Amino acid sequence: MTSPEPVIRLENVYTAYEGADRPTLQDISLSVGKGEFVVIGGPNGAGKTTLLETINGMLPITHGKAVVCGQNVRGDGVRVRCRVGYLLQNFAFDPLTPFTVEEVVLMGRYGTIGLFRKPGKEDYAAVQQALHLLGIEDLASRPIGQLSGGQQQKVLMAQNLARNPEILLLDEPFSNLDMFAREEINRLLARLVGSGITVLIVSHAFDDLPERQVRVVVMQEGKIVVSRECSPGEVEQVVRNAGKGPSHA
Amino acid sequence: MLEFIISNNIVCHAVEAMLFASVACAILSVIITQVQISSIGFTMAHAAFAGAAVGMFLSLNPTVCSIVAGVSVAFLIGPLSDKARLSPDTSLGLLFGICMAVAIFFIAYMQTLGQGFSAMGLLFGDVISLYREEVYLLAVICIVAIAFIVVLYKEITAIIFDRRIAESVGIRVKPVYYAMLFVIALTVALCLPIIGGLLLYVWLVTPAAIALQFCSRLSAMFVAAPTVAAVISVSGALAGLEYSLPVAPLTAVLFSVVFIAAVLLSPRRRITFRKT
Repeated sequence: MTSPEPVIRLENVYTAYEGADRPTLQDISLSVGKGEFVVIGGPNGAGKTTLLETINGMLPITHGKAVVCGQNVRGDGVRVRCRVGYLLQNFAFDPLTPFTVEEVVLMGRYGTIGLFRKPGKEDYAAVQQALHLLGIEDLASRPIGQLSGGQQQKVLMAQNLARNPEILLLDEPFSNLDMFAREEINRLLARLVGSGITVLIVSHAFDDLPERQVRVVVMQEGKIVVSRECSPGEVEQVVRNAGKGPSHA
Repeated sequence: MLEFIISNNIVCHAVEAMLFASVACAILSVIITQVQISSIGFTMAHAAFAGAAVGMFLSLNPTVCSIVAGVSVAFLIGPLSDKARLSPDTSLGLLFGICMAVAIFFIAYMQTLGQGFSAMGLLFGDVISLYREEVYLLAVICIVAIAFIVVLYKEITAIIFDRRIAESVGIRVKPVYYAMLFVIALTVALCLPIIGGLLLYVWLVTPAAIALQFCSRLSAMFVAAPTVAAVISVSGALAGLEYSLPVAPLTAVLFSVVFIAAVLLSPRRRITFRKT
């Protein structure tokens, strides 16, 4: 699929972890437009998280070209990460972790603030706005380690939103959330996509997707085997059928 | 610097040295314990120890040699793990063993040559025979450690929170991380002659462990750890010199006693709510 205004453009990208003797991602080509909602599916070990970390430049690209938000990922991953939110999967903080929720959310802006500079008024305002979007203003002064898994997940989500990202990469964002929180996050994601933010989401919970047209990308053994548009209700079927053979649309 | 309070020059230098060393080590102890690189700190302390022993044997400046050894080990851990396909933990174990072996070999050999006394100072520390320049150098490293935290506070706190999250928000983690290791190596090397290679680790871990019992915020830990360390170290130096006891071991024991008391009194482990 070609988008009029791609914010992510991967061309024949290969990625490998340090010390690995073969690439983890192979020959990945993907173009994602502004405001698209992309669901990434596939079995465990297919390379879904690796794809997200390749897009934000956390993993080295050995071959190919990757341009995200107009920046070459290979040359300037740090600048890309200042404009791309990334919610990592499976986080649980120790009860003695010495950070409050507000401090954790403020960290989301550290990259954009830059070296040797202190957070200013606009940074704190962005933090308040992100806390408000997630409905967790009342948790601001609580230590993050004393919150439930779902609340911690929301805090990390707020951390990503605090830097006003152009792209949101979400790795299993629903894993720690209860039914109500999932619905809440879904409404938020739908609003974000509506406002022009591109969302790429790795999930196994396909029944919790926002009610809008989505693109489903299915990965297997480090390759994209399916990339097509569909309704949220069809996503699970597309992922299930992907094992039967490649079908690029 | 503190001559206006302590008239005896030897006591004054000892107290000043312990004060500056403890503040520098305690600030870094917060980083070491919270980034969970205590095995790196442990190995670097012993590398500095080995470097000083080798320097002493070769009649080179032991401080310079310990800085070189400490920094080299810090920068060897990553490449050694990659090239030898070892886990960082195994690499640290190997380097620690090598450093200990080198240090003990040269100390034992120096004893056979009749240079035992100065070598033993490396093991258990020596606050009696300090030159004014050495105290100034400790004051400088104390200022460097404080400045390092103040200038790179946001980057350091993000790395302490989680290295991968710090990287994902756009922080250049590697340069800051290596700067951390460099400042730790420098501090370890300069504090080695007064605290001793075997005891230095107490100063690099215990202050933060004590602070953690009472502080729920990192900023508070960065204030509490050096304050506690300074009080204990100055008390240890004064008591040791007053009663002719070995200063560094006595202070290390005091640290341990305070840590046990802190654990017992810690409000962070109590359930404080009441049923209304």
